[in-house]
Formats: sequence, structure tokens, C-alpha cells
Amino acid sequence: MKKIKKTFVSVVLLLWCGIAIYGWHLTREDAGNSSLKNVVIGYQAGDEFYISKIRGQFVKKMKDKGYNVKFKEFQNGAAMMQALASGNVDYARVGDTPPVSALASGTQLTYIAAGGTKEKGSGILVHKNSSIKKLADLKGKRVAYTKGTSSQYMLLRALKVAGLSNNDITWVNLDSDAASVAYSKGKVDAWANWDPSVAQVEITENSKLIVNGKTTGALNRSFIVSPTSYAKNNKSLSKLIIKYTEQDMKWANNNHSKLINKMSTDLKLSKKIVRRTVLRRTYSMQEMNKDIVKEEQEIANVFYDNNILTKKIDVSKHTQYLR
Amino acid sequence: MENIETAKHYQFSIKFKNSLPWLIPVFLILIWQVACNASWVNETLLPSPIDVVTNGVKLFKKGELQENMSISLYRATAGLLIGGGLGFILGFINGVSHTARLLFDSTIQMLRNIPHLALIPLIILWLGIGESAKISLVALGCLFPMYINTYHGITSVDPKLIEMGKSYELSKKDLFTKIIFPGALPTILMGLRYALGVMWTSLIVAETISASSGIGYMSTNAEQFLDMKTIILCILIYALLGKLSDFIAKNFEDIFLNWRVIERGQSNDSKASGNN
Repeated sequence: MKKIKKTFVSVVLLLWCGIAIYGWHLTREDAGNSSLKNVVIGYQAGDEFYISKIRGQFVKKMKDKGYNVKFKEFQNGAAMMQALASGNVDYARVGDTPPVSALASGTQLTYIAAGGTKEKGSGILVHKNSSIKKLADLKGKRVAYTKGTSSQYMLLRALKVAGLSNNDITWVNLDSDAASVAYSKGKVDAWANWDPSVAQVEITENSKLIVNGKTTGALNRSFIVSPTSYAKNNKSLSKLIIKYTEQDMKWANNNHSKLINKMSTDLKLSKKIVRRTVLRRTYSMQEMNKDIVKEEQEIANVFYDNNILTKKIDVSKHTQYLR
Repeated sequence: MENIETAKHYQFSIKFKNSLPWLIPVFLILIWQVACNASWVNETLLPSPIDVVTNGVKLFKKGELQENMSISLYRATAGLLIGGGLGFILGFINGVSHTARLLFDSTIQMLRNIPHLALIPLIILWLGIGESAKISLVALGCLFPMYINTYHGITSVDPKLIEMGKSYELSKKDLFTKIIFPGALPTILMGLRYALGVMWTSLIVAETISASSGIGYMSTNAEQFLDMKTIILCILIYALLGKLSDFIAKNFEDIFLNWRVIERGQSNDSKASGNN
């Protein structure tokens, strides 16, 4: 009996070790060509760099120019900002609020490029049969948002547009997964969010946006940021990255069906949801310009005025105009 | 005739006893499935067990599930070996030497209560975002239960036994291998059991640091897109892996501590396992 038990445990342990060694093997990265310069790019599933990654052209073109591109996936903008601050990431694709918060906390980063907006897919969600028909109806209601993200900015802008004060609604700070349960169970009356979650909730929860970024002016733009010292010394590399991602964005706009298929398997979302997300946005990538800096400055100002940031920030001081 | 009857009855009762631990999990899953079929719950928020399993099979066929599981297993094992090993060494040193205890113990106790999530920024800053960052977070989690239990095990060996060993004029080495270590072993193995549990919980946190693989990544990624099927699949995988590691640890106890089972003699536990 003892013997059987011993053999059994040994077999389980051996299997365990075997699988763990296989796992170790999987995590080893290709050593790569040592003559190439490594460039580490942080991205989130479904964003602009994700498109460059799945298309595959970007890595090839960069290799021809002498760069070895490593894509690192992140789950949220805050983690990406930490990695950027510590110099573990050279370029990062983020939304419009994480860089502002990072700048306020003293991270040395520089805006390199601006992507497209998600204005039609960002806004305040309500159930279709809800009593909230227009923005002013939000008065006295419970609205879910996530602190420090675009959704908080969206909500602040929406209240301003509606002529309501910040105290007219109950602010419910929830992470997106907790918010989805709370929203579906009716514990909150509305939910400030952005695509693809908005598209998903619209379809699965019979909901609609009562306001989107076009009205509120919270455009939810993408940015590429880089550590300040790195950006200073790598201007030509930054230009290359903008040029090649721009080409990939054109490809994305012209190859919707391919993009939707790939995205729906990678993000594990139904095609219907991904299609809605993709069709209502235009992918783009461009150098920074004065108008876009003004947009970003507005976020910094609103966040400062509402005590979300403790420091005033001048976005133009942290921007590289590469054109 | 009567003998056969009682034997049968006995066998039945063993079978029943062996299935008893699984009764509640199976019962819960059944209720869950029924609740889904009768649409008492919203399927988008709580998919049925069958949906979850089909989703698992789909991911398995794509090769995603095995890959993520083996990568997670690698990170967990490496973390356990490093953290558990360090914890054992520290616990051992502090257990034996009074000076070392004064020097290290309060520092370790202070570090012990820092939540993992709070450490992530520091770990990214010092160790980057690669595998070493993830493994060290798991190692840190496994270190403390191993440390505390080894330390406790060694200091709480019956002093009378040590006294006896000394009066038999055992050498220092013999004193350790014959009395102190075996005496501390039950507690040390208990520490291993705790460490194995902490290992999995630390791993979820560790795999949120720029990971693109692993079970923790799978679940946080699914969270982001509210993919409940995968979220629940990951929870089930964690539960099963937790059970598996506990099972191994328990068997370690049975194998290494066989003297303890004999001591207990005719206890129910050994009777049941003896008849398996």
C-alpha cells in the first residue's frame, strides 16, 4: 500500500516537474540577433500596436532598419506607466488619462504621437427601458465609473454639458468587472465606459449610450509616450515608429473583416461586438500637434480642478513635435 | 453468509467515505447547472458549468490552455523552490541560533504583512517586467509560511527529548538528524502545505505584471473584456490545482511521517487509507 502511494506521488511530481520545465521552455524568448538594437513596446489587447503586431509588417520593417521589436502586453495603463517610469518599456500606447496622472506623480515621460479617438464608443450607458432619457435625467442617480480613468473625465465633462454640478449624482467607483455586475443587477443606474465594453453592454444588456464623446468632448484618444530621456535620444526611431504604425492603421481601416475576425478570437468577444467597435472608430497615428495637446491639457486642468491631480501640469512641456 | 454481508457493508462504507469530500463540490455544481437551465441566473453573468467546460475544451484544442497552465506551473514551482528554500534556511538558522533570531526575526515579521499588490511597483522598479519579477513575487509569498513553520517547528521540539539525546551523548549532527529535524518535520510539512496554497494566490497577482501568458493572465485578460466563461474556468483551474498541491503535500506527510501514523494506530484515517 505504502509503495503504491509512493510511486503514485512520484509520478505526479515527475509530471509536475515535466510540465513546469516545458513551461520554462515556453517563456524563454529568442535571444535574437545581437547586432540589432532592442526596442520594447508596451501595448494593450486591441489597441494600435496590437494591430501592428498581428499584421506582422511592423516587426519586419523595423528589423530592416536595424531594430529588434519586443511587444509586451499590459492589462492596464497604470501598470504600463510604472514599467515606463522604470525604463522597462521604451514606447507605450496608452489612453488619454494615464499619462496625465503619471506626469502629476513625477514620471518623466514625453508624448511622441497621437492615435485616433473613440468618441463614438465612449460615453454613459443606460438600459434602454431606463427612466434616464437625456443627460439632465442623471440628477440624483447612481453612476458607475473607474477613478482616474477616461470614464471619470467623461462623467465630469458630461455633467458640465448637462449643467449639473458634481454633487447632483452619486459617484460609484468600481472596476470594470465589478461595475458590469452592478450595472446588470441595477445597483447603479448608469455607467461611464468605453469600447469594446460599451459595445458589449449595448448588445448583451439591451442598453444604449445617452451621450458620447462627440457631445461631451471627452474623445478618449490614444497616445504613444516614451521616457523623456529615451525620447530625446531617439528622435529618428520615434519617427520610424510613427511612420510604420500609420501604415498599419491604414491597413486596419481598409481590412475591417480580417481585423474583426482576428480581434474577436484574441479578445474572446463575439464578432458582433467587435464589428460594432471597429466600425465606429477610425484608426490613425500622427505626430503630436497643438490641437491635440490642447485636448490633453484640458484633461489635466479638469482633473486638477477636481482635486484628482495634486499638481498642475503643462502638457506642451512634455511633448515632442516631430514634424 | 453474515461475514460476506458485513464485508460488503464495510466496503460500501469505505466507498461512501471516499466520496464524501466530493459531495459538496458536486452538489454545488449540480445546483449551478440547474439554476442556469431554469434561467434563475443571467447566463451572461454566470455561464453554466457545461458552457465553462466547453470553453475549456475549445481553449485546449487551440493549445492555449495547456501552454498557459504549464507556464504558470513553471513560475509557481520556481517561486516555491526559491522562496520555500530561503524560508526553510532562515527558519532553520533562527531556530537554532539565538543571535540570528534577534537579528532577523523582527525584520521578517515586518515584511511578512506587506500585501503583494503594494509591492508590484517596487518589483517592477527593481526587477523589471520579465520572468524574474513574477517568480520573485511568488517566492516572497512562499517564503513566510515556510519560515514561520520551520522556525516554530525547530523551537518547539520537546526539550526533554533533546535532554535525553544529550544524556545518550549523541553528537551535534546526530542530535539534529535523529531528534530535532524529525520532531520539527510535521510543522515544516504543514508550512509546505501553506506555502503551496500561497503560491497559487501570489501567482495571480504576479501574472498581472506585463504578462502575456499564464492562468493569471488568462483571467485578468478575460476580466477586462468581461468574458465570464474564461473567468470561471480559471477559478475552477485554480481550485483544482490548489486541491492537487494539497493532495501532494498530504501524501508527503503520510510518507515522511509514517512513524506518526503508526503511533496513532487504529485511528479511522489509517484504517480507511489502509484498505484502499
